[in-house]
Amino acid sequence: MRTLTLIILTSLCSLLLLSGCWDTKDLNHRSLPIAMGVALEDDNYEIHLQIPDTNQESVEIKIVSEKGQSISKAIDKLSANMESQIDLLHTKVIVIDKDLATKGFKDLISGFMRDREVSPKALVVVSDEKIETLFSKLKNTTDPQGTNLFDFFDKEAGWNPQISLTRVWQVYRSFYSYTKDVAIPIIKSGDSTTVEHLGSAVIKNDKMVESINTEETLLLNAFYNESTSGKVEVMDEATLMIVSNSMDHKSQFINQIPYLKSQLNLKVVLLETTDNPTTKEIKTSLETLLTERFNEMFTKIQESEADILGVGQYFRTKIPREQLKNWRSEYYPNLRMDLQIHVVIQNEGQLKLVDH
Amino acid sequence: MDKSFHVVLMYLLVHFGLIFFLFPNDIISSSDEGQWMPILIGLIVHFVFVYIYMRGLSFLPEKNIIHIYSEISNGLAVFILLPVFIYLLLTNIIGVRAYSEIVTIVFLSNTPSWAIIVLLLLISAYLASKGVEVIFRTGVILAFVIFPIILFVLIASFQNVDWRYLYPLFNDDFRFITNPSYLKSFSAFTGGFLFLGFVSPFLTYKRKKVLIAAAILIPFFLLAVYIPVLTFGHSTSSTFLFPYIMAVDSTYLNWLMFDRVTMFFILCLITFIIVQVSLLLWMASQIINHWIPHNPIYSVVTLVIIIFITSLMITNWETVEHLLWLNSFLRFYVIFTVTLSIYNIGRRSKRKGLS
Repeated sequence: MRTLTLIILTSLCSLLLLSGCWDTKDLNHRSLPIAMGVALEDDNYEIHLQIPDTNQESVEIKIVSEKGQSISKAIDKLSANMESQIDLLHTKVIVIDKDLATKGFKDLISGFMRDREVSPKALVVVSDEKIETLFSKLKNTTDPQGTNLFDFFDKEAGWNPQISLTRVWQVYRSFYSYTKDVAIPIIKSGDSTTVEHLGSAVIKNDKMVESINTEETLLLNAFYNESTSGKVEVMDEATLMIVSNSMDHKSQFINQIPYLKSQLNLKVVLLETTDNPTTKEIKTSLETLLTERFNEMFTKIQESEADILGVGQYFRTKIPREQLKNWRSEYYPNLRMDLQIHVVIQNEGQLKLVDH
Repeated sequence: MDKSFHVVLMYLLVHFGLIFFLFPNDIISSSDEGQWMPILIGLIVHFVFVYIYMRGLSFLPEKNIIHIYSEISNGLAVFILLPVFIYLLLTNIIGVRAYSEIVTIVFLSNTPSWAIIVLLLLISAYLASKGVEVIFRTGVILAFVIFPIILFVLIASFQNVDWRYLYPLFNDDFRFITNPSYLKSFSAFTGGFLFLGFVSPFLTYKRKKVLIAAAILIPFFLLAVYIPVLTFGHSTSSTFLFPYIMAVDSTYLNWLMFDRVTMFFILCLITFIIVQVSLLLWMASQIINHWIPHNPIYSVVTLVIIIFITSLMITNWETVEHLLWLNSFLRFYVIFTVTLSIYNIGRRSKRKGLS
């Protein structure tokens, strides 16, 4: 009698476990897009999905597209027309059309954050050409896993220090944060490679207001204390490779004007030289090259009032919260930025630098 | 028999269930800056009441609060225990409904909430009907399995922290004290220790160890609020319903086999909630049992049915929030009357014993 009750109880309990997967759909009946492209056409969203379709022998890449008043509507329509259910759980990259980016995409990103189906960790990218063209190029790739767009940004695969990495939650944060804006990588389909990286889009609140090139994005990454090691710099005297970088900041107010003094410490190794330069020449040359490049970029982003460097963060101790709200419009345009670059040549390779 | 270890683990476990869901949002929406101040005030209240409560109980060893009140007079027992009973029942109803909705919002968007409520209630009812020892033993096992996971998630959630969001550090504006959100946040500060007065004849514990457990909780109270604030900044995290869950969701660990750590974290906390619900059920059934002696299984089943039906009548999240707000008044009343009266009765009986 006791064992019978036990058996009945256990089987009843195991029934309960089923409640965890209500309306479940098996994995082979799901489509898991890797990348999603979003464009705006006459107030309708047009979405493109890159779906790796696994057969027993190979992976084929499917590109599907649909229009709808909202992303969910478009996905819903697609799901209805497909033989499997679309599940955005594993979408790693969101590609936004440049037109949509300049018009503003707050609702799009907020929708992702609200719904939670797309992971907040997905990367946000701006496409410089029509999404359709970019995605058709993605389809023709020979990549065996169909994850090429994701691999391009993966730190363990194809990422380079001059590419900015910005995730959905970071973009969402920039809509509300008083002192932080974001830069989103800009890509288009390349001639010989699948993807070509063009630089970064500067986003203020939810609109793209400016763009910076790849070299400038490198400095931006250095400013964020991301590792820039592996980046090759070419000058007249020599070609160098950055092996490590670090940043120090000091903020102060003088006569109501915010000053930020930053120092970028770079360690480099020598790869190639032209005409026997001295160590000193190489150092000063690199320092001026980077300082000029940084100042040029900073003037540009300062004019657009977008604080992608997050400079305002260094003034949080000095400005009360009430006034911090006006950081972008009142303080940031007057900011005086002083970047000092300190270069250490870690080694000169197998050859000695011969002094004159 | 000294079961301090069980009581301490249960104390931690119940509070973990309370800290990570609604509490961060309540604190963040009550104050714009210097969130450590409201937390500090809440913690002081927590410590003062826990201390008074346990001090009062220590004068009357081997007795639970039901015995204590009914020994004085039956009128007093009704006057104090009836609100306590209503509070326990209401907390259970709101708790079950709120957590089922949380599960729906966060991950099981297709599952009807009644199924989740059934799951939460059935396991809790089983535990509650088996008695307090079973609940505490379950708590110990769960604590051993789950505390490491929670610690891991907590450490991982530091990934995107930007310490500069800590500033401005000071807030000279004390208006948060009257903010409804702040009063609601006391569900975490004062909603978890009432059980200490119920377990006495079955389990005994050392006061000092419970106070140590309360001290262990301090960093968790702070981190649950500060991790989202440091990750997103105040103005962004105030737009979230569950700021801490969002902060965990933004951590990127590509070497981990799970893409989303959040899911495991939430499931761990839900198991704690189940234990907590069973504890509340058991306490309520003890009160009924005092007036109408019976086999606890009957009262637990009746309570579960009442809870199930009432919680289904709450149709939306707005009502849940409203009930949480109403319940915070009842909670303050219950906490004040119970702790202070126990302390007074204890003092008086000690004096009597001396003379």
